[in-house]
Amino acid sequence: MEMHPRVLDHAVSDLDGLIADEAELTAGVRIRPGRSYGFFTDTTVCIGCKACEVACKEWNNLPADGIGLTGHSYDNTTALSADSWRHVKFIETGVRDDMAQPFQSGWLMMSDVCKHCHNAPCLEACPTGALFRTEFDTVVVQQDICNGCGYCVPACPFGVVDISLLDGKAHKCTLCYDRLKGGLEPACAKACPTDSIQFGELGELQERARRREAELHRRGVTNAYLYGAPGEAGATGGLEHLNAFFLLTAQPETYNLPRAPTRPADRVAPSLAAGIATVLGLAVAALSLFTRRA
Amino acid sequence: MTEQSAWDGRTYYDEPQLRPAPFNNALVGSYIFLAGLSGAAQLLATVVDSAHGPAAPPTVRRGRYLALAAPVLGTLCLILDLHTPRRFYNMLRLIKATSPMSLGSWGLVGFSVTSAVTASLQFAADRLRFSWLRSLARLTQIPAALTGAFMGTYTASLLSATSTPLWAAAPKSLAVRFASSAAASAAVALGLGERNDRRRRDLDSIAVAALAVELAATLASEHAECQAGIGDPSHSQTARPIAIPLVLLLTSLVLPGRLGRTLSAVGSLALLGGGLAMRIRVLHRGDQSARQPYRSLRFAQLDNLPRT
Repeated sequence: MEMHPRVLDHAVSDLDGLIADEAELTAGVRIRPGRSYGFFTDTTVCIGCKACEVACKEWNNLPADGIGLTGHSYDNTTALSADSWRHVKFIETGVRDDMAQPFQSGWLMMSDVCKHCHNAPCLEACPTGALFRTEFDTVVVQQDICNGCGYCVPACPFGVVDISLLDGKAHKCTLCYDRLKGGLEPACAKACPTDSIQFGELGELQERARRREAELHRRGVTNAYLYGAPGEAGATGGLEHLNAFFLLTAQPETYNLPRAPTRPADRVAPSLAAGIATVLGLAVAALSLFTRRA
Repeated sequence: MTEQSAWDGRTYYDEPQLRPAPFNNALVGSYIFLAGLSGAAQLLATVVDSAHGPAAPPTVRRGRYLALAAPVLGTLCLILDLHTPRRFYNMLRLIKATSPMSLGSWGLVGFSVTSAVTASLQFAADRLRFSWLRSLARLTQIPAALTGAFMGTYTASLLSATSTPLWAAAPKSLAVRFASSAAASAAVALGLGERNDRRRRDLDSIAVAALAVELAATLASEHAECQAGIGDPSHSQTARPIAIPLVLLLTSLVLPGRLGRTLSAVGSLALLGGGLAMRIRVLHRGDQSARQPYRSLRFAQLDNLPRT
């Protein structure tokens, strides 16, 4: 096989071995099983470079999908899918309201990802147990178990999970489960040049996000708010909180996010009760009819 | 804060906010129909059997055989609908109360086993004339009938326990629709083969009652959809497939003799076709609502949160 000469430039690692707990150096957090980890995506510092999308595709070996131009600003990824686990959204809001007004457009950019919900609807729907909660409090599809029933797809309130027609299995962000196991920070967070995507322990991240929200309010960005933190938009209807949460500056709908998603599993009991009561009611009516005529 | 101001109705380039279920609607719709038909047929057979005692009419035998439709054909539809069908047995790795698909898989296994045993006992009793075979069938039909009641309704819970707006908007009335449609389908399916004119009329009366319940629940579903702000302008079309067999069967009940029988058969076939079409239409409309961001985002507004 012919190889590009540059492949041999660094054939031998400069390091003696693996860096233990590398995430401590890159994200300031030591990854330990049994604790909750997540993403805090601060959209106010996102520059729309899509390094997260690329890093994710590279690390997870995801195929390209839907190559083409949409005309929707710089967003040609369109949606999270079986093959795209990070998706940068672009919203052009018109002219920026500051000194640079005549020269610079106003942009909203947001790197979307699986929310790794506390009460994850996909996990609650999965009939095979392929979707499970990891020791890092994240939600992952086990590819060797998924039989492609597709029930997780409509269960997700965020339209994240998708069935790949290439292999017939459900796919979504794993929060780099394999990297967490090796003490590494997830690829997208590590690649993010502005720290818009921050990885860390959930409690610490939520505190950091609150501080950032307060700081932005103090500096006059009064429309900054958290999406998916406990008690906020996106963490409604029994979902409790989202392990991957966001700081936004426009309505959730602007970013194609549901304002008040609900937990689908809460609808099982009332629905079953109503249905079975109907069938049994009709059966009792039939019984009385047949007994009278017997 | 921005989040507290009301949604201005704008979407993200009209891109879908949700993903529609990757089901084959013809296969899944057929399964939902067959599961309802079989489950309710088993339940009705048990009801007729209980009413008549040991001298059970042939209606019971037909009900027990009809109950095999879901275990045989329905299971096939479900396996074919998987994107990795060779792993179908993974459905039985665990049982999960939050997943109607998991509960339904076990329900289908329970219903299939008890229905197969009951049908086999019926088959043997018809040939061997041992009275204990018939008694045993009367015993095994009880769990079969109870799981049958579940088979006709859990499919509605399966759809409602998703984020698809039209399925999630009216969980109770959707379950009542599926349940009553199942009972009506089973009643007319048994009535179609019924030689005893009085029993056929009884079965048709049950179908009429069930259809009336289904019609009311359909109107309730539409009302709930409008309440949630995601109503569909194509209203009257959902009521028509119920109204037509309802009118035909009601007319057949007052008409005597051959004309009544013919009208009953036509009404029964219309009801069975309408029942199958209703399931497929519910699936299709749900998929559409998931693809429409102004509907999914409207459904996920604060006013639609469950009251605590």
